[in-house]
Amino acid sequence: MMVCPNCKHNNMAGAMFCAECGAQLLGKDALTTQNISTEQFASSLPKNTQDVYQSFDGQGAWGSIHLLDTGQVLPLSVRNEFTLGRISEGQPIMPDIDLSPYQAYAGGVSRLHAIIKRDGNRILFMDLGSANGSYINGKRLQPNAEQYINHGDIIALGKLKMQVLVKNG
Amino acid sequence: MASGKRDYYSILGIFRDATPEEIKRAYFDAAQRLHPDKNVAAGETELFLETQQAYEVLSNPKRKSLYDATLPPEIETDTSIKHEFLYSRPSLVKITEPQLLYVQLEVGSREVAGQMATPPLNVCLVLDRSTSMQGEKMDMVKAAAITLIRGLRPQDVFSVVTFSDRAEVLIPASINQETKKLESRIHLMQPSGATEIFQGLEAGLNEVKRSLDPSRVNHIILLTDGHTYGDEHACLKLAVEASHLNIGITGLGIGNEWNDIFLDALASSTGASSAYISKAKDIERILVDKFNALSSIFADDVVVDYKAQAHVHINYAFRLQPEGGAVALETPMHLGPISRDAPLKVLFEIVVDPGALDHDDVILMEGSIKVSVTANPAPATPIRVKLSRKVLEKASNEPPPASILSALSRLTLYRMQERARVSAEAGEYSAASRHLQNLATHLLSKGESSLAKTALMEAENLERMHTWSDGGNKELKYSTRALLLEGAKEKYK
Repeated sequence: MMVCPNCKHNNMAGAMFCAECGAQLLGKDALTTQNISTEQFASSLPKNTQDVYQSFDGQGAWGSIHLLDTGQVLPLSVRNEFTLGRISEGQPIMPDIDLSPYQAYAGGVSRLHAIIKRDGNRILFMDLGSANGSYINGKRLQPNAEQYINHGDIIALGKLKMQVLVKNG
Repeated sequence: MASGKRDYYSILGIFRDATPEEIKRAYFDAAQRLHPDKNVAAGETELFLETQQAYEVLSNPKRKSLYDATLPPEIETDTSIKHEFLYSRPSLVKITEPQLLYVQLEVGSREVAGQMATPPLNVCLVLDRSTSMQGEKMDMVKAAAITLIRGLRPQDVFSVVTFSDRAEVLIPASINQETKKLESRIHLMQPSGATEIFQGLEAGLNEVKRSLDPSRVNHIILLTDGHTYGDEHACLKLAVEASHLNIGITGLGIGNEWNDIFLDALASSTGASSAYISKAKDIERILVDKFNALSSIFADDVVVDYKAQAHVHINYAFRLQPEGGAVALETPMHLGPISRDAPLKVLFEIVVDPGALDHDDVILMEGSIKVSVTANPAPATPIRVKLSRKVLEKASNEPPPASILSALSRLTLYRMQERARVSAEAGEYSAASRHLQNLATHLLSKGESSLAKTALMEAENLERMHTWSDGGNKELKYSTRALLLEGAKEKYK
């Protein structure tokens, strides 16, 4: 018998995926893993935000969000629009970018706060009717109205400040 | 093929240790197909005479033993077919409870795709023209049929049957037909009446049977948008008859009203599969794809004949490619066609009960694989198969083969959807909803966000309304099935 580590369902011996929740039980090591040399990693660590942006450039990101308080950089790639907000337990609202690890709650970020999207080479930003509002370079925005933003603009969701870095910005 | 000097056994497509009953059955089967009253292709009468000669010798014990003495030792060779079995584990473990083992079978052609001739078709379209087809659906069906007619090659046999509560032959089966005339017949189709699938299938089968030819791809494509009432059993019986004649039945369902479980059962007993057409505008694309798939067939069907082993049973069998679909667990098992471009892949889930572990070697399956290659009408020489695993005290640490792992990771999604349906059917809505939520999580992690959304929505529907949304269950079923194929294709490139 094999007990699923995920849902504790009793699976028959030899099962490879849990019959109840579909979690993989066997052969996890067989999946291809990559070794990342730590030396290389250390030398490629960016020194300032401009470099951070450069390093994402090669991966097809069209921009990134630099959180000013904590220093994290979140790349914007693959998709053309992202909702920003914070996940709270027991609520089915799932923003594309969850800011809760970056003191979003303390900063007054709504669960579904704003949306950022690409429009050709430019970037559109819209507040989604959040409780504490959004600011671009200190100026409060009308909710639900799209606004173009530029490379280097500082936006604030409530009190949470971030700089938007745009490719070809 | 080494047809120059074939011995009597390979002429009949049997092993040398065949019992008198097996010899007799093989001869009757071959005679049915090749008899001068029935055969159509050139050279088949000669083949018939050969089988007759072979049977005369092999059915007489004295002549058989004299003949056997002249034979060179048996070599398992020849065949244009290659096959391979992969196991999820190298051995079984000695434990006191049932255990699972996955086996993946791959059967393909040895030849290169480019060198093979495309087989001519013998296809009948069986079209539902019941009242519910009125409007866009009927227009699209007509347009699709006309596209197919324009794409026919002179050697293709084509027929069209329409049905409601009775069936008419709109275009009788024949080769080299006049395109304009056929098109005008298609335009005559008028929707009215109820849906009785058996009527249509029976007429369609008759059309295909009229020019039945083992060197063609013999196939029925059923297109319907509704439930059939009371004749399901008759339909399934007809499908079994079709499978004996090597005629495949593909079921295409339009919209949300048709019974996918029934259509799947119908198709899978002939080794074919069913497909879901959610929007009328997709009818043409899906029909044309299906036609192209039929024209690139290398072998119509791969049949596994096996004897059930004590304490071992096949729990589940699924065809991963060329066309995803559940395999009906019957004896013999019809696994489906081999395409010229890609081998057939089937995954078996086998349950071994502790009772089987008394021996050091457990036989999982013993029997033969028969592949009827379309370009070669002579009976196929079966390939003997014996699947067995050693029983060890300790489980092996060897990781399962990557191809089984990746196939199973996708098949797991399909089966979660199946499980949700079973639970919903039994009235266990919260269980069904839980299965769908789990499914959504896995879909999300695979990047299938829109399908994940569908799964979540259905989970909510089941929880609140205790029912699926229109077409939601079919969408999930056929989309998760399509994921399986994508996975297989990725691996090819």
